[in-house]
Amino acid sequence: MSRADRILAIAVVLFALLVGPAVRGAAALSPAQTVTIKGPSGSTRVSLSAERTLEVEGLNGVVVVVVHDGHASVRESSCPDHVCVRSGVVSRSGEAIACVPNGVTVRIGGERNDGLDAVAR
Amino acid sequence: MDSTLSHARATATPTVAVTRRVVLGGCLLATACVLGLLEASIASPVPGVRFGLANIAVLVALAVLGEKSALAVSVLRVGIVGLATGTLFGPVSVLAVSGALASWAAMVLAFRSSARFTFVGISIAGASAHVTAQFVAAAFLSGTTGVLAFAAIPIIASLLFGIATGFAARYIISRLEGNGLAGR
Repeated sequence: MSRADRILAIAVVLFALLVGPAVRGAAALSPAQTVTIKGPSGSTRVSLSAERTLEVEGLNGVVVVVVHDGHASVRESSCPDHVCVRSGVVSRSGEAIACVPNGVTVRIGGERNDGLDAVAR
Repeated sequence: MDSTLSHARATATPTVAVTRRVVLGGCLLATACVLGLLEASIASPVPGVRFGLANIAVLVALAVLGEKSALAVSVLRVGIVGLATGTLFGPVSVLAVSGALASWAAMVLAFRSSARFTFVGISIAGASAHVTAQFVAAAFLSGTTGVLAFAAIPIIASLLFGIATGFAARYIISRLEGNGLAGR
């Protein structure tokens, strides 16, 4: 590896370490009290303090979202590689889990204006 | 062995040179597809972390056949693997295409750059650009930047796998060039 290679490697590590805090910093507009679950057919906002299990209809099947103990996670999904399930739990404002094959997202905080048409409960 | 082959290359007619390029390009595309399928069948323990094995073939194509051939290998690989795994034209293929294009562009930039990147450095550029582009595409598709909060571990993993695939590509490139089989 040349000197240029090593500089690039260090730049990549710095970028990786900074991207998470930068995203959290930019998205943390309000304290996280709600979780917004958006699917192909609309979106729902649920309080993070609630204990809820939601079955969201995705593009390919059902995505099971669990809100428990101030965290939100995807328990089950009909998608092929289960990136959403293995993403684990989100609890801090601005964090999100996306199931791209099903078109479903779970985002902490719902106070920011998304241009959503309706909020269904 | 080597001297015979370089002699054959020196006296090769243009048609033979074209044939050699086409054959080598086809072999690299086939290799990229097999590596891509192999990787698709391995369930990654951490979301977003991939070995990027197919990038070996793309980097070899870039080095021995040029930029256009590397782009062809990369894009056709995504199409063929998508067809085989059934994800073609779905939202997942948007991630795959954006990753492939960003990776190719980053490797071309590193390859042309006046900074002296070795094939390992070019591979790191391609691997990290691939992961970053996939996360950006996922953020667009999901309409939230929150998914980027998961990007740190996959990017660091891409650096390590980029180094590994870079060494693999360097070995293959040196063998191809040593045998006079490089297409240019």
